[in-house]
Amino acid sequence: MSTTTSRANATEDGGAPEPRPASSPAARERRTRSTGWLFVLPFALAFGLFMVWPIVQGLWMSFTDESLTLNGTNFVGFDNYAEAFGDPDVWSSLGNTVFFTVITVVPLVVVALGMALLVHSGLAGQWVWRLAYFAPFLLPVTVVTLIWQWLYQPDLGMANQLLDTLGMEPIGWLSDEKFAMWSIAALTVWWTVGFNFLLYLAALQSIPDQLYEAAALDGAGAWRRLFSVTLPQLSRTTALVGMLQVLASLKVFDQIFILTKGGPNNSTRPILEYIYDVGFTGYRLGYASAISYLFFALIIIISIAQLRFFPRQEG
Amino acid sequence: MSATTTRPRLHPAGGPLDRRRRPKSAEPEGAPLLLGHGRLPKVLASGALITFAVLWLLPFVWAIATSFQQEQDVAKPGLNPIKGALTLEPYRVILERGNVPIWAFNSILVAVLVTAITIAISTLAAYGLSRGTFRGRKLLLALTVSSIMVPPQLLIVPLFQEMLAFNLVDTYWAVILPQVVAPMMVFILKRFFDGIPRELEEAARIDGASDLRVFWSIVLPLSRPIVAAVSVFVFIGAWNNFMWPYIVTNDPALMTLPVGLATVKDAYGVVYAQSMASALLAAAPLIIVFLFFQRRIVKSVATTGLGGT
Amino acid sequence: MGRRGFLRWGLAGAGALAAPGLLSGCASPASPSGASSLRVWDLFSGGDGLLMDEMIEAVSTGPDAFDVDRTILEWGASYYTKLAMAAAGGRAPEVAVLHLSRMAGYAPGGLIEPFDLDLLAEFGVEEEHFAPAIWERAQWEGEVFAIPLDTHPFIVFYDKEIAGEAGLLDSEGELAPIGSPEAMYAASEALAEAQGGSGVLFGHIADEAQCWRLFNGLYAQTGAVWELPDGGEPQVDEEAAVRVLTFMTEMFDGRRNPNNLDYIGAMAAFQGSRGAMIFAGEWELPNLRITDRPLGAAPFPQIFDQPAVNADSHSFVLPRQERVDQARRREAHRYVATMLKASYTWASAGHIPAYQPVIAEDRYAELDPQASYAGASEIAVLDPPNWFTGSGSNFQNQMTQPMSAALLGNTSPEAAVARMISASKSLLDQPNPVA
Repeated sequence: MSTTTSRANATEDGGAPEPRPASSPAARERRTRSTGWLFVLPFALAFGLFMVWPIVQGLWMSFTDESLTLNGTNFVGFDNYAEAFGDPDVWSSLGNTVFFTVITVVPLVVVALGMALLVHSGLAGQWVWRLAYFAPFLLPVTVVTLIWQWLYQPDLGMANQLLDTLGMEPIGWLSDEKFAMWSIAALTVWWTVGFNFLLYLAALQSIPDQLYEAAALDGAGAWRRLFSVTLPQLSRTTALVGMLQVLASLKVFDQIFILTKGGPNNSTRPILEYIYDVGFTGYRLGYASAISYLFFALIIIISIAQLRFFPRQEG
Repeated sequence: MSATTTRPRLHPAGGPLDRRRRPKSAEPEGAPLLLGHGRLPKVLASGALITFAVLWLLPFVWAIATSFQQEQDVAKPGLNPIKGALTLEPYRVILERGNVPIWAFNSILVAVLVTAITIAISTLAAYGLSRGTFRGRKLLLALTVSSIMVPPQLLIVPLFQEMLAFNLVDTYWAVILPQVVAPMMVFILKRFFDGIPRELEEAARIDGASDLRVFWSIVLPLSRPIVAAVSVFVFIGAWNNFMWPYIVTNDPALMTLPVGLATVKDAYGVVYAQSMASALLAAAPLIIVFLFFQRRIVKSVATTGLGGT
Repeated sequence: MGRRGFLRWGLAGAGALAAPGLLSGCASPASPSGASSLRVWDLFSGGDGLLMDEMIEAVSTGPDAFDVDRTILEWGASYYTKLAMAAAGGRAPEVAVLHLSRMAGYAPGGLIEPFDLDLLAEFGVEEEHFAPAIWERAQWEGEVFAIPLDTHPFIVFYDKEIAGEAGLLDSEGELAPIGSPEAMYAASEALAEAQGGSGVLFGHIADEAQCWRLFNGLYAQTGAVWELPDGGEPQVDEEAAVRVLTFMTEMFDGRRNPNNLDYIGAMAAFQGSRGAMIFAGEWELPNLRITDRPLGAAPFPQIFDQPAVNADSHSFVLPRQERVDQARRREAHRYVATMLKASYTWASAGHIPAYQPVIAEDRYAELDPQASYAGASEIAVLDPPNWFTGSGSNFQNQMTQPMSAALLGNTSPEAAVARMISASKSLLDQPNPVA
C-alpha cells in the first residue's frame, strides 16, 4: 500500500483499467503465494501454541507421572491408562456424565422445538417470547447457579416453599442423591434451551411457503401440515441440534462444579470434574491427562457414530 | 384441529427473525401456516406460549424480588418473594464492597480483547485459507477443521502446564490467549469468503491494490454480517466462559464475573439478598445489550450455531 | 465500535502479543490495593470470618499498621486446590491459612516455603510458645513450614442444667469423667430422660468428615495408630477400629440416640432444646451460644484407654513465590507474629489459641466455656500425615462414607472398617505426586 501505488491509482481513475487477462492470474498467483501465509500466520501461531501443542503435550503427559508440585517427572508407560480402566471413580463419573446427557438431551431438543413452533405460529408479542426463552442463555453460569441455589434452598427457596404450600414434604434438591442430578438437569434445560430454540426458529423460517401452500391445496389441515411438511423439513436441523446437544451435555462441568462440587457423595460428579479433581486437587496432572484422552476417544467415537447414524441430507 | 381446506394466505418470505416480515395490519390473521384457522388452536398455542414464558421468567422474578429485600426479611418463609419493605440495601453493600465492579471490568476487558483478537486472526486466516496457495494450506485447513472436534475442556491440564511454563498463571494473558483459537469461526468465515466472487478482487488487484488492501476494503465490507455474527458469538462465549478462567486465575483482582462470584466469599457467609443482587448486576450487561440488539444477536446465534448455514 | 475501529483494536491486540514486556507487565492493573499491600488468603466465613476481619482491622491501624488485602475463599477442597495452583503458578498470596493436617500435601512438593525462625523470634514468636505435639506437626525435614494460629478440637457441648439433673457434673460444675462405652451409654440415657428428648446429637448424613472426626479421636483413645506409610500398606489395628465403630453404632442406633441427623439438623436440634448434648467442633460455639441454653463444653470425654481428641489447627503458611521479595517476606513474618499475639480475639470463636502466652493470660481463664476445653490441645490427634489426608480431603470423605452407612445400619462395623482399610490402601497405592 505504498503511496506511489495510490497516486498511480488516482491518476488512472478516469479511464477504464486496461484488461490484462493473460498476466492477471499469474500475477495473482505470485502475490498470493508470497503473502497468503502471512494472513494465516497469527492464527497458525496461536493455533500451534494453544491447540496443537497442548494436544501433543497432554498426550505425552498421559504417559508420565507429571505432578502439580515441583517434583521431577518420570515416564511411566501405560500405567496411567491401566489405572484409569481399573478406577471405579472413572466409571462412576463417566456414568454420571452419560446419565446427565440422557436426561438433558431429550428435553433440550423437544422443548426447544415446541417453543420454536409456538413462537413461529405467529402469535402476537414475538420479542417477549424470544426474550423470555432466550434470555437465560445469556447468563454467565455463576449467575444461573446463584439464582437456582436460592430457588433450591432447603428452608426458604421457592421450590420447597411451593411444596410446602401444596402440603408436601420439602425435598433436598441438591443434597439428596435421588434428586440432585435431576435438579441440575432442570436448571440446565432452563439455562440453555434458548440456544436450540433459536436454531429451530431459524430453520422454521427457511421452510419455503410453497410447501405449505401445496399441502394446503391437497387438503392437509394444520396437524397434517405439521407432520407432513414442518417436521420432515426440520429433520436435518433436529439431527444437527441433537448432535450438538449430545456433545455439549457430555462436556458438563460448570454448573455441577459450582452447585454441588460433584456431591452428594459424588453422585453428580461428571467426568470432567473428576479430571479436575485428579489433576489439580490431587496434583496428578499425568493421570488426569490420561483420563482426558480416554474421554476424548469416547467423544470421537460418539461423534463418528452420530455422523453415521444421521445420514447427511440435502437441505 | 379443524382440517380446513381454505388456501392459506400467501406469506412474504421470512419469519420472526425478519424485520420486514409482517405488516402490522396482518396481525389478526395470525400465521395460518402452522395453526389452523379455528379459534381453539390459537387459544391453546397462546396458553402454551404463556405457560412456558411464565416458567422461564419465574426464576428471574423470584431473584429480582429477593434482591430488593432486607436480609432478615428474606429469612421469612412464604411463597410471595416480597416479604418486607423494598430496599436498595443489598445493591449498596455489593457495590460498596467493590469486588463486583472490578470483576465486571475484568469481564469486559477479557471479552473485548478475546473478541478483537479472535476476529482479527480468524478473518485473516480464513481469507488466507480461502484464497492462498501457499504450501501447507491444505494441511492447515484440515488441522483446523478437525480440531473443531476437540473439546477445549480436555486441554485444561496441558494448557495450565503451559501457562506455568510461560510464567503466565494469574495474568490476563493466561485468561485471554487460549480463548482466541476458534477453529469453528475460521471455518465459518472461510466458507463465507469462498462464496464471494473473485472478480471484485481481481478488479482491485489490477488497480494495483495489495492483498491486505483488497482484504480490507473489498472483502471485509462484503462480510460485515458474518463478521458481526461471529463477533457476537465469540463475545458471548468469552463473557460467559467459566472453566478456563477459573483454573488460571487465583488472584481475585484478575477474576472475571463468573469466576469471582463463584470463588470469593465474604466474611458473613451466605446472604441471599446480596447474592441475588450481585447475580443480577452480573447478568445485567448482556441482557441490556440483548434488548437493544435483539435481532442481531438472535441472527448471529442462529447462523453461527448452525455452522454458518 | 465501527468495523475499522474494531480491527484496529484487534491488530493492537495482536501487536501486544508480540511484545513480551507487556505479557508479564500487565499482571494486575485492576488490583484494588497498592503493590505494597500484603495479600492474605483464608477460608473463614460466618463467625470466624467476622472475627478475622476484626483482627485484621486491629493490626491495620497504628504506627506499624499492615496494609492487608484479604481474600476469603470457600472452605474445602476447592480452597486447597486454589492454594496449590496459585503456589504452582508462583504469584500466590504472601500469607495463607492452611489446616496443619494438610501440610504433608504442600511442604514436600515445594508449594509452601519454610519460615525463618530467627526472623519470627525477632518479632517475639518462638518454639517454646507452642504445644510440643502441634509444633512437631508443623515441621518437615527439620524446617518449620506452618505457624499454628489455633487448635480446634472436636468436643462435646451440653446443656449444663440438664447435665446437672442427669448427675453428670462434678463438684466444680464441669463434665465428670466418663471412662467407658457403657458409662457413655448410661450417660446418654440419663441425659435423654432429663431432657425429655434426645440425649446426644450427632449429625453425619451426607457429611464428608463428621464420622471421621468422631472416629479419629476415639481410635487414638484405644492407643492405636492409623498409619499410612508412603509406598506401603496401611497399618491399622482392625480390632480397635471395630471396637470404636461398634461403640459409635451403639451410641447412634436410632433408638438410644438419633442416627439420621445431618450436620445442620443436629445443630438445629440442639439449638431447639431437643437434645441435651452434641458432638461437634468447637468452632460451632458462636452458633450454639445464640440460644439461651446454659452452655457447657468439655474436651471429648475419654471413653477408651487413654485421653485423646481429634483436632486440627489453622496455621499460617508462606505459599511459594516465583520471585521472593525479601521485604514482603519479612512483612509476612511480622504479620504472622502479630496475629498470633492478637489471638485472644480469635478465642472468642471457640478456638484454642496455639500461642501459649495468650492462654496463660488471666482473661483467657475467664472465657466460658472456652477455658473448659483448653486442655484439649495437649491431647490433640490430627489425621495420619500423608499428602492425601487432612481437613477437607478426599481421604476424610472416603473414611466417613462407610461409617455413615454403618451408623444407618446399612452395613456392619466390621464391613465398614474393611472398606475404610481398602480405601486407605487404594489411596496409598496411587503414585505419590509430592514425593
